[in-house]
Amino acid sequence: MEQSAEKAPVVEMRNIKKHFGAVQALRGVDLALHRHEVLGLMGDNAAGKSTLMKVLSGAYSPDDGGVYIEGEAVHFASPMDARRTGIEMVYQDYALANNLDVSANVFMGREVVRMSLGPFGVLDYAHMELETKSLINRLKIDIASVRQKVERLSGGQRQAVAIARATAFDAKVIIMDEPTAALSVAAIDKVLDLVRQLKEHGSSVIIISHRLEDIYRVADRMIVLRQGRKVCDTPVAGDLHDFRERVVAYMIGARDDFAETITA
Amino acid sequence: MSQEIRRLFRENIRDYGMFIALGVIWLVFAITTDRLFISPRNLVNLVNQSGFVIVIAVGMTLVIVIRHIDLSVGFLAGFLGAVAAIAMVQWNLPVYVVIPLTLFFGVLAGLLTAFMVATLGIPSFVATLAGWLGYRGALGLVTRATGTIIIPNDTFNALGGGFIPDIIGLTILPDKHKVTLLLGLIGIILYVASAVRSRRRRGRQVDELSTPLFVFKLVVISLAIGAVAWTIAGYQGLSWTGVIVLIVVLFYDFVTRRTVLGRHIYAVGGNPEAAELSGISVSRITHVVFASMGMLAALSGMLYAARLRSATTTGPLLLELDAIAAAFVGGASAAGGIGTVFGSVVGALVMISLTSGMNLMGIDNSVQYIVRALVLAGAVIFDVATRRSGD
Repeated sequence: MEQSAEKAPVVEMRNIKKHFGAVQALRGVDLALHRHEVLGLMGDNAAGKSTLMKVLSGAYSPDDGGVYIEGEAVHFASPMDARRTGIEMVYQDYALANNLDVSANVFMGREVVRMSLGPFGVLDYAHMELETKSLINRLKIDIASVRQKVERLSGGQRQAVAIARATAFDAKVIIMDEPTAALSVAAIDKVLDLVRQLKEHGSSVIIISHRLEDIYRVADRMIVLRQGRKVCDTPVAGDLHDFRERVVAYMIGARDDFAETITA
Repeated sequence: MSQEIRRLFRENIRDYGMFIALGVIWLVFAITTDRLFISPRNLVNLVNQSGFVIVIAVGMTLVIVIRHIDLSVGFLAGFLGAVAAIAMVQWNLPVYVVIPLTLFFGVLAGLLTAFMVATLGIPSFVATLAGWLGYRGALGLVTRATGTIIIPNDTFNALGGGFIPDIIGLTILPDKHKVTLLLGLIGIILYVASAVRSRRRRGRQVDELSTPLFVFKLVVISLAIGAVAWTIAGYQGLSWTGVIVLIVVLFYDFVTRRTVLGRHIYAVGGNPEAAELSGISVSRITHVVFASMGMLAALSGMLYAARLRSATTTGPLLLELDAIAAAFVGGASAAGGIGTVFGSVVGALVMISLTSGMNLMGIDNSVQYIVRALVLAGAVIFDVATRRSGD
C-alpha cells in the first residue's frame, strides 16, 4: 500500500458502529480509501457492506465512530451533505427518473439556470446538454443522444448514466452498490472499463459487489466484512483461483485477520 | 429528410396524436353539422363555456404527474365561487379584493390537502375524497340561508361573459375585432422569436430538427395561431375568459418545461426516491402542486360563477372528473411523470368538442356519455400501445 505514504487518505472511517433495534449491523469497522484507489467491499448478505456505505454517503448516521474526509472530521445529516463534500453514491437501482432525458438525469437536483428567479429559475438547456455530451464522450459511454429518455436505454446504458451523474461534479469518492448485478456480460465489461476510467481521471472508487471476478478485475485492494466486522483488508493480487479461495474463507468465517481486536 | 420525418413521427406520435384526434373530431362535426360547428360563434362559445374546465385540467395535470389525484376540486370550486359571491354581496368587498382573496383561500385549501398527503401520508384519493365531501357540505352551508346568490357586479361577471375592448374609430377590417388580430400577430412574433432563439442557443451542438423541417414547423404553428385569432376576431373578439385561460396555459407551460420547479415536478413524478436522494424535497413539491391546484380551483369557481352571474347551491357538478378525463385523454399517465399542460388542454377541448358537436347534432345525452367513454378508453389504449412500442 505505497499510496498511503505521505498524504491523509481520501476517506477514513474509524470504529464505525451502527445498530438497528437489537441487531448490531456494524461492530466497529475501520476503513481507509486512498487517492486513485479502487477498493472492493465484499461480504455475505447482512455482513454490513451496505450499512457501512450508507453511513459514508450520509443516509445513516453512525452510533459511534468517526468519518474523516482528507483528514477532516465530517458529520453528514443527509446524502446531500455527503454530495457537497464530494462523495457520490451510485445506487443499485440506478436512482434515475425514466421519464426524463439523459441530461436531465445527470443534472437532477443540481440544475443549471440562466436566469435566477427563485423556484422559477429558467433552465439552461444548452449548457446542461453540452456538459452532459462532453461528460459522455470523456467516459466513452455509448449513448446516441443526451435528449434520449432513460426509459429507452438498456440496463448497461442506465448504469453508465448513473455513473456519469456521480462523476459530473468533481466527486472525490464514488461509491457503487452492486454496479454489475443486473447486467449482461458485455455490459459488465463496459462498466468495469468505466471504473478504470474514473480512476484515471483522479477519482477514488468503492465497489460493493457479490461478484468476486469484478473485484478481482478492477480493485486495487479489498475489504471483507462478516457479521458487522472487518475480517480481511488486503491488496488484490495472485491468480483468480487463489484469490477466490481466500475470499471465500474470509466470508464464511474460516479465516479472520482482526479477531483479537473484537474480543478485547 | 424522409428518414428524419419517419423518425420524428415515431418519436412524437404520442405528443401529436391528440392534435390529430382533435382535428379529426372537428372535421367530422364540421361535415355532420353543415359547418355550424366550426362557425366562429360556436368555437368562441366552446372555449368560453369550458374555460373553467381547462383551468382545472391544467392543475390536475401536475397533480397526476406527481402520482396523485384531486377529487375535491369540483366542490372546492363551487364553494369558493360562493365565497366570492358572499364577499361581494354580503361583505361588500370590492372585486379587486375579492379575486385575490378567493385565490388565497384556494391556496390554503390546496395546502391543507398537501398537508394530509405529504405530511400525514394519507393517499391522495382518500384525502381528497374527504375534501369532496367536506367542500360539498361547506357549499351547502354557506348557501343555505340565501339559496343561489345573484352576483350584481358587472366587472366580476365580465370574467365569464365579457369581451376585451376594441379600438373604436378604425375603418380597416370593419367586421373584425382589431385588438384580437393584433394580439394574434404579437403571439406569432413572440413564438417565432423564441423558437429561433432557442434553436440558436443549442441547435448546432445538440441534435435538432433540420432547417426545412424547423421552418415548416414555424409556418404551421404561426398559421394555426393566425387562423385561431382570425376566427375569434370574426365574432366578438377575445373574451376575458379566453384571456385568463391563455395566461394560465402559457404560464404553466413555461413553468413545466423551462424552469427548475417544473423539472423537479417531473423528477418527483418519474422517481420520487431518486428525486429525494438528489436533494429534491418531494414534500415541498407536493405542497406546491396541490397549492397551485387549489388556486386554480378558486379561479375556476370564479369563472363558473361569473359565467352564471351567480353562485349556485351545487357548483360545477362533476368538474373534477371532467378535468381528470381531459388530462388522461391528453396523454397523462396514472403511473406518474408523464403529461403536459398543452396535452391536457387539447384533451379538454376534445371532450368539450364532443359534447358541443353531439349537442348540435341532436344526439341523445346517454349516447353522448357512451361516445365520450369510448374516446377516453381509446385515448388511454393508444397511450399504452405507443409506450410499449417505444421500448
